[in-house]
Order: sequence, then C-alpha cells, then structure tokens
Amino acid sequence: MYYKIIRNDISKSKLITLTTTIFIAAAAMLVTLSAILVVNLSGAIDSLMKQAKTPHFLQMHSGDIDTVRLKDFAEKNSHVDEFQVLEFLNIDSAKIVIDRNSLADNVQDNGFSTQSEKFDYLLDLDGNIINVSDGEIYVPVGYFKDGTAKVGDKVVIDEKKFTVAGFLRDSQMNSLLASSKRFLVSENDYAEIKDYGSTEYLIEFRLKDLSEIGTFEAAYTSAGLEVNGPTITYPLFKMLNAISDGLMIAVILLVSVLVVAIAFMCIRFTLLAKIEDDYREIGVMKAIGLRVSDIKKLYLAKYTVIAAVGSTLGFALSFLFRGMLLENIRLYMGESENSSIAIIFGIIGMLLVFLAIIAYVSKVLKRFRKISAAEAIRFGALQEKSAGAKRFCLSRNRLLHTNIFLGVKDVLARKGLYATMLAVLVISTFIIIVPQNLSNTISSKSFITYMGIGNSDIRIDIQQTDHISKKAAEIIRTLEHDSTISKHTLLTTKSFKAKTENGSEERIKIELGDHSIFPVEYSKGRAPVKEDEIALSAINADELGKKVGDGMTLVIDGKENKLTVSGIYSDISNGGKTAKAVFPDHSADIMWCVIYAKLSDKSLAADKTSEYANKFNFAKISGIDEYITQTFGSTISSVDKASTAAIIIALIITILITILFMKLLIAKDRYPIAVMKAFGFTNSDIMAQYMSRAVFVLIIGIILGTFLANTLGEVLAGAVISSFGASSFHFAVNPLTAYLLSPLMMISSVLIATIIGTSGAGKIKISEHIKE
Amino acid sequence: MKKIIICEHIEKSFGEGNEKRNVLDGVSVEINEGEFVSIMGPSGSGKSTLMYAVSGMDSIDSGKVSFEGKNLSTLREKELADIRRTEMGFVFQQPTMLKNLNILDNIILPSIRDNRKSATKITEKARVLMEKVGIGELEKRDITQVSGGQLQRAGICRALISNPKIIFGDEPTGALNSKSAQEIMDIISEINTEGTAVMLVTHDAKIAARTERILFMCDGKIVSEMRFKKYNGSDIDDRMKKVTAKMRELGI
Repeated sequence: MYYKIIRNDISKSKLITLTTTIFIAAAAMLVTLSAILVVNLSGAIDSLMKQAKTPHFLQMHSGDIDTVRLKDFAEKNSHVDEFQVLEFLNIDSAKIVIDRNSLADNVQDNGFSTQSEKFDYLLDLDGNIINVSDGEIYVPVGYFKDGTAKVGDKVVIDEKKFTVAGFLRDSQMNSLLASSKRFLVSENDYAEIKDYGSTEYLIEFRLKDLSEIGTFEAAYTSAGLEVNGPTITYPLFKMLNAISDGLMIAVILLVSVLVVAIAFMCIRFTLLAKIEDDYREIGVMKAIGLRVSDIKKLYLAKYTVIAAVGSTLGFALSFLFRGMLLENIRLYMGESENSSIAIIFGIIGMLLVFLAIIAYVSKVLKRFRKISAAEAIRFGALQEKSAGAKRFCLSRNRLLHTNIFLGVKDVLARKGLYATMLAVLVISTFIIIVPQNLSNTISSKSFITYMGIGNSDIRIDIQQTDHISKKAAEIIRTLEHDSTISKHTLLTTKSFKAKTENGSEERIKIELGDHSIFPVEYSKGRAPVKEDEIALSAINADELGKKVGDGMTLVIDGKENKLTVSGIYSDISNGGKTAKAVFPDHSADIMWCVIYAKLSDKSLAADKTSEYANKFNFAKISGIDEYITQTFGSTISSVDKASTAAIIIALIITILITILFMKLLIAKDRYPIAVMKAFGFTNSDIMAQYMSRAVFVLIIGIILGTFLANTLGEVLAGAVISSFGASSFHFAVNPLTAYLLSPLMMISSVLIATIIGTSGAGKIKISEHIKE
Repeated sequence: MKKIIICEHIEKSFGEGNEKRNVLDGVSVEINEGEFVSIMGPSGSGKSTLMYAVSGMDSIDSGKVSFEGKNLSTLREKELADIRRTEMGFVFQQPTMLKNLNILDNIILPSIRDNRKSATKITEKARVLMEKVGIGELEKRDITQVSGGQLQRAGICRALISNPKIIFGDEPTGALNSKSAQEIMDIISEINTEGTAVMLVTHDAKIAARTERILFMCDGKIVSEMRFKKYNGSDIDDRMKKVTAKMRELGI
C-alpha cells in the first residue's frame, strides 16, 4: 500500500519532489565532504608534523648566540627530550632569482637552511626526508602552487647557481601566514652562500611531554637565554597549518547548514500545502478511528524514500568533489593516515542529514493532532485566521494599485504560507551579503589595522642587520626631505622583561614610537600616549592576564617601572605577542625597526617603493597594497571566489524556490484566480498580483537578511577572522554592492522566477472551476 | 428594441475522438436590452455552457457571439476581461468570493480596479446597494461569518457595482432555501425593472415563471421557447402551470 501511495504522490508532484531531493542531496554531499575534509586535514597535519618532527618550542634569534649555555640549559631541564640550533640564512629576496625572475616583490622572508639532523626535517612531496646534493635546491611548496618555480628551473643567489630538484614541505613555515620560507641546500653550498645574507638562529626543543610546554616556556624565559626574535610553540604551528583549509571547511559547513535549512523549507511548504489539500481526508481518517501515528506514517513514508535517495546520492556525489577539495591538503601536507576513518565519518554525516530530515517531517506532521475531525469534515478546510490583515481594507485603500493591494493583502492574510518563502529569501540575502562584506572588509586597506599594522602607503622593515638605529635615522632623514611624503613614523622594537603576577619575569617585545600617526584598531581602550602607558596585543593581554587600566611592571635598564595598560589590539605579526609604548629608551638592543610612510599622492606608491628599494638595499621596502596582497592574497582570492560562488548559488536557490513556490501557489489558488478572471481581471492583472506578493515578501526578506548579515553575519565572520588573531571586527560595507546591486539582483531573479512560475495562471479556465 | 447579444449557430464540444460530445449544437439566440430571460433544461443539456459562451467566459468551437456589435471570438483576453468587468455582472450558485477580503471589499473589487481614485464613490454606492438588498450591517464581516442567503445578496451587489447592461445568473438561488430564494428573486426582478437585462439558468419552474422569456434546452439545442409579460407579482400560479405543462410536454 505504501508503495502505491508513494508512487502516486511522487508522480503528482514531480517538480517539488525533484527539488527537495536535490537539496537533500546537496546537503548530504556538503556535510559528508566537510566530515571527510576535517578528518583528512587533521590527519594530514598530524602525520606531516609527526614525519617532520616539528619542534615543540621554537625561539628565533638574531645576533650573538651562546650555544654552550643553551646546551647546558637543555641538558639540565628535565622536560627536554631533544634540542638543536639550526641556522637560517636570511637573504634579501631581490637577490634570489628563480628562472630569471627575482623574488624582489615577495614579502616573505626568504631564507636558506640545511637539512637538520635530529628533528624539524624538511620533507619532499612524498613525505620523505630530503637528502640534498650539491648544486641542488629544494623550494617551498607554496612556490610550486603559485607557479613561481618548477623542477629543473635555474635558481641564482647572488652569483651561486642551483637547479630546482624538487619541492619541500615545511611543517613550520608551509602556511602563507608564517612570514618566513625555508629553501633547502646542501651543507657545502650553504657554506658558500653564507656571506650573502645574515644568519638567524632557530633554537628548537622537543619535549618529553607536550603538555608541559607552558612550564618549559616560563623556564626558558627566566633562564635569561637568547630571545631576540619571535617565539612559536607547537599548537601555533598546528593552527597555522590548519587555517586556510580550515576556513574552507568552515565555509562548506556553513553552506551545508543553509542548504539543510532550505531543504526543510521545501518540505515544510509542500507538507503544509498537502495537509491543506487533504484536510477533509485526514478528518475522515481520524473520524473512522485511525491513530494519528498511522496517518503520520502515510506521509512520512514518502519523505523517508526522498531522504534516503537524496542522502545516498549526496554521498555518492561527495566522491566526485573530494579529490578536488583534498588537492590542496595533499599538496601541502600529504596523505592523511586516517582516510578510511574519513569515509566512516562521511557516512555518519550523511546519516545525520537523513535523520534530521525524518525528524523534521515528523515534527511538521504533529499538526495532525490539532485537526478536529468534525471541523475537517464540515468545513473541508482549515479555518484560517488573518487577524493582522483585517484592518487592511480595499475600501480604505487609496495608495496602492488594486493589484498590488491584493498581492500585499494575500501575503498578510496567509503569513504562515509565505513564511517559508520569506525564510528562503532571508537565507539567500544572507548568503549573498556576508561573503561580499567579508571580502570587501579583508581587501579594504583599513583591514590591516586589525592585524596590528598601521594604515600607511609604504612600509619599510629594517632587521637582521647591524647598526639598525643609524640606518633607520638615515632613512628618516631622506623621508623628511621628500616632499611627496606627507607623514611618517619610526617604530623601534625592543625586548624588555616584564614582571608577572607571581613575581616571575617574562620577555616581552615592545614597539616604541609614536603610535598615533598610523593607529591600529584597538579592540579595547586606546593607543599609549603618555610615557607610563602601554598597549598589549590580544594574545599578550590574555597570557599576562591584563585588562585596560591594569598596572604592569617593566624592568628597564635594571630599574622597575610601573606602566598602565591603555589599550588592547589585535596582532598577527610576530606570533601575535607584541606591545606598544611611547617611553624613550636607550638601554636595550634594537631588535628591528619599522618605518611607515604616507604619500601625498597615493599613485606614486609603486615608484617610491622601487626608488627607496634601490637607495636602501639593507631595508625591505614594500608598498602596503603589495604587502596585503602577499600576506592575505590567497585568503582574499579564496574569499572572493567563495563570495562569487555564494552569489550564484543564492540566486539559483532564489530562482528555483520562487518558481516552485509560485507553481504550487497557482495550483492552490486555481479557484480564486478563476473567480477574479470571471469578474474581469486579466491575466496580466493576476500576474501583477503574484509579482506584488513575491516582491513584497522579497523586500521584507532583503531587509531582514541584510540586518541579519550585518549583525549575526558580522559575529560569524568575526569568529572566523579572530582565528587570525584579530579580536575586534566590523564589516567594511560597500553600500553600492551590498545595498543596491545585491537587492537588484535578487529582485530581478524573483521577478523572472515569478513570471516563469505563474505562467500557468493564464491557462486556468474560468468555467472549469466555477461552473456548477 | 436594441439587441445586446446575438448568438449565431454556436457549437461547442467536450472530449476527443469517441468520447467527443456536442454540448452546444448550433444554438442561435438573441437577447434584447432590458429583457429578462431564463434557460431551463435537464442536467447536461448545455444551459450553463450556453451562458458561459454567451458571456465570453468560455470559448466556442464555431459560430459567432456578438455583444453590442463586438464579435467576442475575435477579442483578445484583455478586451474580453474589460467587457466582463464593466458591462456584465455575474451571480453564481455558490458564492464565488475571495476568502481574504471582507464582504464590502469583495463587492467593490471589480469596479475599483479601474477607478481607484473614485474609491469613496464606489464604496458609497456599494453601501447603498447593500442597504437595498438588506445586508447593510455586514460590510466588515468575513465571508465565512455570514449565511448563504446573505452571501448571495452580496454577490448581487458585486454584479451590480459597475452598472452592467446584463446580469448572468447561474442557478443563483440553487443553494438557498425557498424563502431566501424568493427574496433573491424579488431583488433580481427589481433590478430588471430598473432596466438591466437578466439571463438566468435554472432548474426551478417557479423561478423561470417570473421571467419574460424561457428557453428550453435539450441535448445542446434550444427546443422550445415561451414568452410572458413582465411579471408584476400577481399571476405567478397561472404562469407556473404553463411552464410545468411545457416541461412535461418536452419531457424535461
């Protein structure tokens, strides 16, 4: 009996059944994919970091190094399992030429290393430890991905020539967000090029127990060892490796939630329409003593079939796309160990979608309980209440055209029915606007102020060199005499000891200078102005347990100084642990300097950048746009792609659902349409009424969707962004696209879909529906 | 007397092939200005179909229907709708009203489409009409909150709102008790006396007996016709006898 009922039902409503199945399939596919991707990503990261034996604690250091003292510390500290100091040869990117193209425009700190002996291995694309011969060079895999290099290319460093033998995976610096990149050369070659750059040391530890990392970190700091550079720990390496693919998974997961919601809407709408049609039958079934659960089964059977078919289809489809999406993970991190577990998780994801659908249908069918048998048989239809619409009378209407009035009135009178369409439109608007705002925010210049970088035109870095202050002063002098520079500032980073709550000391890097010229975004408080004020990066504030207004003790030149925390800001540079202050200091060594400059005419940026680059070859000079492109380039382009895809998907969903909805509505409204035609309303009048309904619902949808996008969407996007280290976040909205173009696209889609969806209204014959 | 409707040899069939059935089989009929006509006949004789064809609500296979000199078959859908809205009025057996609108809004709906600016005038007119048919106090009610007889009166108000030249009634009293039916017929007769032509489809001899001309239909043809003077309320029994005798004669 079920088979017959299901078959009849499906053949009567092919379009809606097909659409519902497609949405369920899409939802199942996306959920399955994200489950598979999550398992693969975490597996791949784990195996990469296991194979490479990533250090648990890394202290970068430039300047003099006392390896004996370090070795002594490592031997005496009970947590240390293994210890090594690696050299990292920093070479000015302009001096690295791959296949006749120099890396001059590259903002990464490119450097050279030899293969390490104990741990922190550089791996080839098969996951094996690379054994490099003289004359060969292995290039970071990122340069393979973006096409900078290919196997066999000639690489020239100053005068030394190499041949690209392959590409390497670096468990520390794979991610674009890690600002350094390691090239691998043989020991002999390394010795030859050593004089072309400055040496930085990677002081690396592996611990017996990873959970002791906090204790170890404190021990390292209090031992007063080398600290002239960023400190990075195992969890941060892991996060850096996970971010870009993790973001993709998050987006897929978000989209799948929305698709499930749309599938629910489809089901709700068809079910409500069906229940309304079958109202009398349901009443009769109740009257003759069938249980509600028996009646529910009749309806549930069809959706069980649809959900099963959809989920299975989606699972199958996920196999088509997983290769494509796994490509990046495979390239950067290699195969995951647990790909078989991934399939199991995929199946679980698919089952979840299936069960969610069944549960939802079952919930909608709870309405059966409310149907009174007597009422259903007597009236044959639900006695709809339309309290809100009552005062909206045609006789009092002077404003709207009659057709528009009738459209709006219908929406107000049947709110429940239109709520479904409204929900879909709200979701579509949301899907269109959020990625668009996100992309606009990330690509806007002011976005870098969330990242702890001032909003300027040119950024000049002086580091890993000697006489930093003299060189900085030289540049400042030039800037002062350059009429095209409207303002500039010099920020000097030094390392100081800070007293923590429990009396121990911790090293903290403080950027000194005037922070009001190129301010960053403060999530709380403001920039330091007075000499006894200090601003902390979010991560530092968190670790030191400081809030705005708290006091803080710094040891400057052997004396304790009391400072007050004036503000907290987000930062992604230098491991996210920085601070800003304005006090003058001549005691501590300069770690590095950054000079920001703003041009009176922004279009000169490229010329000025190359002019200064030629003039000051010891500094790294980058136009800020370039800096953004190279740091966030891949993120911006993937968010852009996602945003375009989101617009297309949302418009398709809008069109599809509107057509479907209109077709169902026309089928339901045959009688009133016939009545109106009998009394002299034309087909175009009817069309105008349906368009008014659609546009009215759409306008509410756009308003709600935009509102949600700017509130809930901002919170969601902020959560994503905060994974980069930014703590406060606001959308930079482009009003033209967000408030004009996007609504226009939605309106045109809905109008086109309404015209298609209501074309059947013209064929309704008056006599067939009214004649006795 | 001016003819407002002229039908010449209209044919219409339903179904195809072996199933094909001629519902109108070469019907010709004329209706004069202000005339009160009724069509009688057994179920399936084609009387409703004739009315739908004459009013342009249904297409015909061949023949010609002219309304005030315009050939309905050659008019576009828009022009047909315009005529129905401005020059014809309709009353059906079941109250064909829109659920979303209250009684008053349902009544003014056809007229207000073109004259939104004179909404006050139209609403005023609707109130006068409602008062006249005895439902003056119901204007704000929903259509589910009134009785069948009251709804049918509202239907008549709606048919009259645009001052039509003719009113078509498809068994307008068919769903009512005899008291309500009498009252509705009194209203329709009064409208007719004021100059509007009326064409009724009915089963009821008592209803038909109040009209000026009765067309008897059988198997898609007009088989007989009967004429009376305008009804003045006095000789109904006599007229009824004649109608029933004719019906017996025709085997209806």
